[in-house]
Amino acid sequence: MIQIAEKSDAASAGAKESDRIVRVRVLRQDAPGQESYWERHAVPYEPTMNVISILQRIAAMAQSQDGRHVAPVAWDCNCLEEVCGSCTMLVNGRTRMACTALVDKLLEENPEEIELKPMSKFPVVRDLVVDRQRVFRALERVKAWVPVDGSYDHGSGPRISPDEQEEAYPLSTCMSCGCCLEACPQYTKSEVVQRDDESAEDFDKRRKAAFDRGFIGAHAISQAMLFNSHPTGKMIADERLKAITSQGGIQMCGNAQNCVAVCPKHIPLTRSIARAGRAATVWAIKKLFDR
Amino acid sequence: MAVAAVSPKSILPLACGFDFIAARCSFSRLAAVLCSRHVAVDRIDPSTITRLFVSESESNPSFVTRNQFLIYRLFSLSGLVPVGAFLVVHLLTNASVLAGPGAFQSRVDLIHSLGPLLVPIEWVFIFLPMLFHATVGFAIIAGGLPNVGSYPYAGNVRYTLQRATGMIVFAFIIWHLIQLHWMGAALGGGQFDPHHASSSAAVALQPAIVGILYAVGIVSAVFHLSNGLWTLGITWGLWTSPAAMRRASWVSIVVGVLLGGVGLGALVGMRNVNVEDAKVIEDRMEGVKRMLEGQPAAGSPAAGVRAAPQPISNPSPAASTTGVSTTGI
Ligand code: SF4
Ligand code: SF4
Ligand code: FES
Repeated sequence: MIQIAEKSDAASAGAKESDRIVRVRVLRQDAPGQESYWERHAVPYEPTMNVISILQRIAAMAQSQDGRHVAPVAWDCNCLEEVCGSCTMLVNGRTRMACTALVDKLLEENPEEIELKPMSKFPVVRDLVVDRQRVFRALERVKAWVPVDGSYDHGSGPRISPDEQEEAYPLSTCMSCGCCLEACPQYTKSEVVQRDDESAEDFDKRRKAAFDRGFIGAHAISQAMLFNSHPTGKMIADERLKAITSQGGIQMCGNAQNCVAVCPKHIPLTRSIARAGRAATVWAIKKLFDR
Repeated sequence: MAVAAVSPKSILPLACGFDFIAARCSFSRLAAVLCSRHVAVDRIDPSTITRLFVSESESNPSFVTRNQFLIYRLFSLSGLVPVGAFLVVHLLTNASVLAGPGAFQSRVDLIHSLGPLLVPIEWVFIFLPMLFHATVGFAIIAGGLPNVGSYPYAGNVRYTLQRATGMIVFAFIIWHLIQLHWMGAALGGGQFDPHHASSSAAVALQPAIVGILYAVGIVSAVFHLSNGLWTLGITWGLWTSPAAMRRASWVSIVVGVLLGGVGLGALVGMRNVNVEDAKVIEDRMEGVKRMLEGQPAAGSPAAGVRAAPQPISNPSPAASTTGVSTTGI
């Protein structure tokens, strides 16, 4: 398979290129809570493929490398341009967006095969699809929004200086993909299974409580800082600080700084975390003396 | 119940053995004890600091979970003061042996001049903070999932080393205490004699394997402190921008290298002490001390105070414990 790694002249190697096979190893799981298993697939090589197009070919063939007829591998995707955050998976062991994982680059890394696994910190729904509810629950906890709901017109909001905009913009590009959480050594999986006799509401409550016991995650800390720097969002700054200093809050961060290294949007997460640490320090001291 | 899956990939052996939830459970048992006291305090003054960090979870959270932020911040602080500060003083004091056994002995004498206060001070400012730091530290290690294999970034390597050195240092300190501290005498250790500081330490540190293990212990402790200094700055928000963090990491590297030099210097100095010569000096100093206190120089062997005490090479008992300008490092 070495020839795959070689950069061949497309025109002269046309015939050869069509013979190329990309080998893919997928960690599959049929349903939540079931055993996972490896399955190998062989996909004809095409130029400018990405992991999503590989998965599309696999679905079209519905056949494993050894010729068995298999159900298509399930995966999640939407925008195909790294803005929606839905296609996160472990490509060659590392968390990243499948839609921007280019096959040519992956084969340069490892010409033998491409390895696809679902994220390990979230419950698997099926194959490469995971349940990322906890990502959104964390955003809910830190109130990652500007509270402007009301029955009358508040008028126009305060101005934001270009400098502030420049600080805030990168943080606002977060797409809740969960890469920062997957790579974080302090973030551990929380999988809650609905009991037979449990109502949907009770299950939701129990699951939220379980989520809230675990680490809130870098993305939520960063969003808390984004909205605490917004002139209107600031109005509930203390509520956000309370959330990020409650159980599973910023104190769980171990400063490994993997989050910032893997964030596909290059969000300065460790800066947000340190700013949140500073804000939490000041807030806690203030609370101590202001009573 | 939440299922905390501990991946078999965790590279720290301890992370495998511990379950996150299990660690939490033992924690809440401890919490139950603390809680009863806490309630009493609460009744006296409803505005105790513990009430600041009320957890939002509905199901009656324990003292520890309600105060997780405070506990982790105290954990972070305790690593610097008093535990980190103690390490610096301890290594500098020991490195004074490089200026001769007399210099080291005078510093040991200064510490032991605390007399009956020494034990409570040791416990309040050294052992209990260390135990607190270690307890929370082990809970953190148990809750983490090191993944340096998949994400071999420098920061992640430091994260993993911080945990590994924490465990090494914990084991080392226990052994170190058994071997040298008087409390270890019951276990066949307790070899350090404060009246013969350099000579007794030199004898204890003589075996090659002991020297190697001490070098590992010292380097681990120094790494843990200097890297901890850097993470502490992020935790408390002292350095927030990537550039400031880079500058801070240089500072922590310099601190680490200097302190590592002091620590290893102390080890080498201690092992190179000429035991016989040191004993002569120590006995002479012991004799002077007893004379000044008006006690007979009882039990003083051969080289005791026969005539008037000769001037001692480095008698300055007033030197502060940190003052080791003469260490030559
Ligand atoms: S911070 Fe980055 S890695 Fe984390 S969810 Fe947002 S975009 Fe994804
Ligand atoms: S810096 Fe904190 S949030 Fe980011 S990966 Fe490390 S432990 Fe996780
Ligand atoms: S499909 Fe939207 S980020 Fe990949």
